Amino acid sequence: MSTASSLTSWPWRMLSFLVWYAKAFVLANVYVTLDVLRPKKRMKMAPAIIAVPAASRSDTEWTLISCLITLTPGTLTLSISREHQILYVHGMFVDSRESLVGEIQEMEDRMLRALRRSPGDLRRPIQVPDVEPVEEPPGGELGDF
Amino acid sequence: MELYDLMHGAGLLFIFLGIVTIIVAGIGLFRLPDLYLRASAVGTSAGLGVASIVIGALLMDFSGLNLIKAAVAVIAQLLTSAVGSMAIARSGYLNNSMPAEITHTDDLLKTRRDLDADSHGEPSR
Repeated sequence: MSTASSLTSWPWRMLSFLVWYAKAFVLANVYVTLDVLRPKKRMKMAPAIIAVPAASRSDTEWTLISCLITLTPGTLTLSISREHQILYVHGMFVDSRESLVGEIQEMEDRMLRALRRSPGDLRRPIQVPDVEPVEEPPGGELGDF
Repeated sequence: MELYDLMHGAGLLFIFLGIVTIIVAGIGLFRLPDLYLRASAVGTSAGLGVASIVIGALLMDFSGLNLIKAAVAVIAQLLTSAVGSMAIARSGYLNNSMPAEITHTDDLLKTRRDLDADSHGEPSR
């Protein structure tokens, strides 16, 4: 798996992720700041909570991606579902589902490439599964849906 | 002496940037409509503000030891502000604080046990 070329490009991938993230972070900051200061009528806010299919596998990857998403102003991880491989992300400027999903997945791709010695599989569930409420909690009286 | 002046100026600039960020975050606290927008915009902006002030202070009083201290402080500050915002938002959601009206999509709502059973908006507590 870990060929010599993927090992030598590892530091480079890490560095490029850090630079890319710093840039995205500053841009998001400017964007949110401008919108907060804008008069109420012209605020461009379109918040939404979107289920984003994720490619993370290990604990480290899940923790890091949700922290990085939250750290970017304007996006916030609300919850994750590891078994369905979904990140529930609250976005501040969501024009469409695809735009937010694309944004988050680009960040995740870059993060995974920087984190893993070789990128490995970046597959994601293609379709968002219909997550049904489960009746697991003991004494949960509202099981049926 | 010139380098000293330069770093002093840059330090001041960073500190003022940090102050502005925190002030904007404070304004956002009043202007944004719901918990999640506030947590996402304000939590991290405040983190960035403090980080920027720390960097400014480092530039004004630079030494090897201070560099290490500042790096640790910035990383810890950013991490904790992220984790804190997530914890606040998550607990808010679990406590039935609904997103503001302008929120156009809510995928997380589908996974809720209590709201699904009785489909009217007010969940039983």
